[in-house]
Amino acid sequence: MTYAIEKRDVTEWLQKLLETAEVIAPVRGPCGDVLFSTVRSPEQVVWDFQNTLPPPKQFVLPQTDPIIKIKRNGELHEIEAIYDDTRRLLFNIRSCDAKGIAFLTRMYEMEPADASYLRRAYNLTIITLACNIPCSLGFCVCAGSGPFLSDSYDVQLTDLGESYLVEVGSEKGESALSGVPNLFREATKDQVSQRERLEAEAKNQFGEETCHFASAMRRISTGRVQDALWEEMSEWCLECGGCNLVCPTCYCFSVKDLGSDGSWTRCRMWDSCQYAAFTLEASGHNPRAERRQRMKRRFFHKASAQYYQRDCAVGCVGCGRCVQVCLGATNLPAVVGAIRKGKWNA
Amino acid sequence: MSAFATTCPSCSCGCGFYLLTSNGQLTGVAPSENHPVSSGKLCARGWNAHEAALCGQRLSRPLLRTNGKVESVSWDEAFDQISRRLKELTEAGRSVGVLGSARATNEENYLAGKLARAGLHTNNVDFSYHSLCRPLLAGLEEVCGERIPTTSLNDIASSQLIFLFEGNLAETHPRAASLVMKAVEKRAFLVTIGYRMTQMARLSSLHLVTTPGNEHEVIRGLLAAVLELRRLDRRLLGVHGEEYEALWRDVERVDRTNALRQAAEWITRAERATFLLACNGGEGEQARKDAAAFATLAAVTGHLNRRGSGLLVLVARSNVRGACDMGVTPERLPGYERLDDEQARQRLQDLWDRKLPRDPGYSTEDLLQSASGLIVLADDPPSVVPMGQQAMAAMEKLDYLVVLDSFVTPTVQKAHAVLPIASFAETEGTLTNMEGRVQRLRAAANPPGIARAGWQVIGELCARFGVGNSYTSANDVFSEIARAAPRYAGIEQRLSADGWSTALLANVDDAKSLVYTSGAAAVTESPCARGPYVLVRDGSFDWGHDPLVAFSPTLSRDYQSERKLFPNGFVEMCQRDADTLNLSAGRVVRLRSVHGHAVVPIKVRRDLKPGVLSVPYAFRDELASVLGRDSVTAVSVEAP
Amino acid sequence: MLDVFLPYVACLEDVKDETPDTKTFTLRFRDGNNGGNFHFLPGQFLELSVFGYGEAPFCIASSPTRPHKLETTVRRTGQLTNALHKLRKGGEIGIRGPFGNGFDVEAARGKDLLFVAGGIGLPPLRSLIWNVLDERPQFGSVTILYGARTPSDLVYKQELKEWAERPDVALYVTVDVAQPGWTGEVGVVPSLFKRITPHPESSLAYICGPPIMIRIAVQDLLRLGFKEESVISTLERMMQCGVGKCNHCAIGHRYVCRDGPVFDYARIRELVE
Repeated sequence: MTYAIEKRDVTEWLQKLLETAEVIAPVRGPCGDVLFSTVRSPEQVVWDFQNTLPPPKQFVLPQTDPIIKIKRNGELHEIEAIYDDTRRLLFNIRSCDAKGIAFLTRMYEMEPADASYLRRAYNLTIITLACNIPCSLGFCVCAGSGPFLSDSYDVQLTDLGESYLVEVGSEKGESALSGVPNLFREATKDQVSQRERLEAEAKNQFGEETCHFASAMRRISTGRVQDALWEEMSEWCLECGGCNLVCPTCYCFSVKDLGSDGSWTRCRMWDSCQYAAFTLEASGHNPRAERRQRMKRRFFHKASAQYYQRDCAVGCVGCGRCVQVCLGATNLPAVVGAIRKGKWNA
Repeated sequence: MSAFATTCPSCSCGCGFYLLTSNGQLTGVAPSENHPVSSGKLCARGWNAHEAALCGQRLSRPLLRTNGKVESVSWDEAFDQISRRLKELTEAGRSVGVLGSARATNEENYLAGKLARAGLHTNNVDFSYHSLCRPLLAGLEEVCGERIPTTSLNDIASSQLIFLFEGNLAETHPRAASLVMKAVEKRAFLVTIGYRMTQMARLSSLHLVTTPGNEHEVIRGLLAAVLELRRLDRRLLGVHGEEYEALWRDVERVDRTNALRQAAEWITRAERATFLLACNGGEGEQARKDAAAFATLAAVTGHLNRRGSGLLVLVARSNVRGACDMGVTPERLPGYERLDDEQARQRLQDLWDRKLPRDPGYSTEDLLQSASGLIVLADDPPSVVPMGQQAMAAMEKLDYLVVLDSFVTPTVQKAHAVLPIASFAETEGTLTNMEGRVQRLRAAANPPGIARAGWQVIGELCARFGVGNSYTSANDVFSEIARAAPRYAGIEQRLSADGWSTALLANVDDAKSLVYTSGAAAVTESPCARGPYVLVRDGSFDWGHDPLVAFSPTLSRDYQSERKLFPNGFVEMCQRDADTLNLSAGRVVRLRSVHGHAVVPIKVRRDLKPGVLSVPYAFRDELASVLGRDSVTAVSVEAP
Repeated sequence: MLDVFLPYVACLEDVKDETPDTKTFTLRFRDGNNGGNFHFLPGQFLELSVFGYGEAPFCIASSPTRPHKLETTVRRTGQLTNALHKLRKGGEIGIRGPFGNGFDVEAARGKDLLFVAGGIGLPPLRSLIWNVLDERPQFGSVTILYGARTPSDLVYKQELKEWAERPDVALYVTVDVAQPGWTGEVGVVPSLFKRITPHPESSLAYICGPPIMIRIAVQDLLRLGFKEESVISTLERMMQCGVGKCNHCAIGHRYVCRDGPVFDYARIRELVE
């Protein structure tokens, strides 16, 4: 079902949503950065921004995620899983980020399903705002994750000027509207065609420049990228791990017991395959001791046919964050371009 | 989830990020696009900066150790014993001192200095890392005067020429390395000088290879090449007339290779050039001369006081500059004023309402060995100072050792009194980065147990020694700093504003033009003879033992593995040397020098040249029998 | 929904010293029912928690044919294993699992089986060896080649004696360096190949041990005529979750914890590092 809501009514809608769940939305802080934060009032929600630098993935997969509690009682131990059943609602996130969360959910649903992650994901409602004007660094068209979505959302809003088109994608989406049904009218034919026009215009803005994912993917999948090229590119990497940590589809982690003296919390903690010690074994042997090997690994996970077949999705949503956050010069589009050309020019 | 804007506590680049908390507990880090230094980026240490405070072995209660037994006590009990024991020592005429820290805040360091000078009436104040950077700073001061002009980090990215002297930026200062890469992407010339083919060296337009101990030759060669190039047209030079002639006389006989001439050409043509000087903890006299020569090169080519050009000193830890500015060194006062500057002394005496001692104090290594009582703020001297475990042995002989820290370090385990303070993530305060940018820390979580803010604890210690002041916040302390150190005046308002409230200390606008007196570029006989092999103690900072890394599960893995696999140390050499010696990785060798010998396994590294063997700073104790107290020594290599 | 990170609590029913730095632990689930639900295949591994130190993967060294004798053999190499070694009988630990693909026991029925193990590589193979010996008539010939650095480094010393005495098992043991009293072979494990005449067409070979030993043994076996699919080994990688989520053990798109740790050589060759 497709509805529309007047922009001036959104405040009341948000007020209602705040009563039903923890609402997380983009908020501009005192330093000027927009970050996803828990909001207490509708006024806090920011609408004029392209995208945040950290994605909202920390709300389903926190950087430090407590999963098990261990308590020692004399000689015996009590262990229990830590449940996070909080109902959350992500409001005003972008298409790429919704796709990112959908990707993560697919990863954690794969056998054996991870209850700890899924509890959060299944209690999360996602309300996106489609991108009429694509962001400058993004390439979501190449990854099929924007600027508009046809799935992976509970509600998709489109800015029509005075109102938002409201596309409902699931039951959770339906209930997000149900608190204030009077604010939502069935969308008119004009409104729907306006949305379609906006999508076409947004796609057009990417111009002729297509990200050459396909050809890079072919080469990566068949091992036809020379080691020498990886070596050359890896010289421009400073191993910060930022690309993985801000990537909406990266989910590598390590597990560590925190605490002491008989009371511990086992936590999942974000990790990065770009760190040398990621594959370091207890014996001291490291199968990916060279940076070029780690770089090759990252791109295999993001853009190989083998992973694509396994996951039924490409491991990148084209959000462009890795471009912004790269401490060196090895962001995904640059590397993909180099692979296609067979040559790196920093 | 809440976000707190704060400054990275790792290196001296001073990036900014948000500490994230969930239900009051630290959970992660988010970058900030708007931060003037980091612009949305972070390095591995920054991304995982929350881990140590969250996962590390924390101090949460004051502890007193009597007869080998450690017991948890109240704050008052701890303060009582500390003031009693230290007063006993001072009244008996025994030597006491205070060590500040390159990882403590300005407020903590300032109060530590005040405690020493006004409270304990001694100038025995220093900080461990100073042992490594002091010669270098002395060399720069020789050329630049009291105040070393610095450029800004962002100027690196817009430079046309970058000189990097003996640094492995990618490891020590990743943000700076990032900016160097930006410049190189924009076709800047990068000249690296060093004995290691580091990542920056591999990206350079020109890598001037040195042999450890002989870096000076390359710099003098560059000076000679520049002077020669500009002999007939000295307009662009920063040195004229008699000074030019004096300098020329000192270097004219130095060999000028084509490479040096090429570099000289680039440097004199560049509008904007940055000079990056790494602190490698080289032997004191050598380091001083190298730094002086490097600064001379910058001055001679006019880049020392030109807009968009300049010098940056790559000290390892976040608040080295702040520690110097707060005067926690034996010959300086807050503001980095000289101890014998009457005006500065009087200002402080008025401010603190105490007469201050005149005689300069001991520096760290001497203090560790000669003091009876010592207060150590947030540091583990044995892992920082060149004398390594000898420092631990010295501390064990102290009559009374007080340690303030957030983390359980080896030094904490030797203390008679332990005072738990909040970590960087849990306290308010300021840090000063290598640019002279004063930045804020914001508390994102509560310290564990009954640990308190460092400024509060040292403030109370000051009160116990009669130099009270009722500080109710870190801000109060900073207000006093602004009165004690004129350079820090006038920035309080900027710092208290919301957001990325940073304040660049006023640079030296009136950097005097170079007045060259013969010496900075003069010949130095390298104390280290050239052998077939030279063993160098590599680098000057052991990140593996720093709590920020040691207690971070993500960051400590490499170091822990290395320590476990090579408990007795190792030596690094290139493949060619290994082949010549018929060795493969893991095989042992005997190294022999004038100091002694040691048998250690070898590791092969691609970035060393034949004849150069290296041992990481972290393993200097294991190779002490060969290195002695030198940072470079000639060795012979034999089968064991 | 499973809480895949939640361990079962188990205790050390028995602790046996194998070598100066290796012990075998017999594990018993504290809650009897867990024991009933813990069905595993030879070659699978478990994630063992030493409370307060963390968790690490260890292969199961016992067989599902002996369900009440769940065992693992662990060498002391770091903090966690050190702490494990300090635990006494009755001490509690956590177990998650069983994980991994395990050996294909069905495929081995009727075949001649060759086991090649070095040092701490014998424990994972023992799970299959026990299974085979417990159902002996269903398998062809059984040949075991085993070696360690020194005689004191040999694990399962008592069992080796028992296997040596069995007429339906051919056992050859060697050490790199002899010690006083050693009367057996001296030399690396691959040197034992000259003592046997395998029939590659009807055989499967299982190899486990230090990487260099595996490399040499695999080459020798291929030279002897074994097909790549018939040469089977276990791979080791840094692991954290054991369930294919953390990505530490990924080699290309294969996960050692899910698609392995048992791989035949043909599949190993396909792995994209």
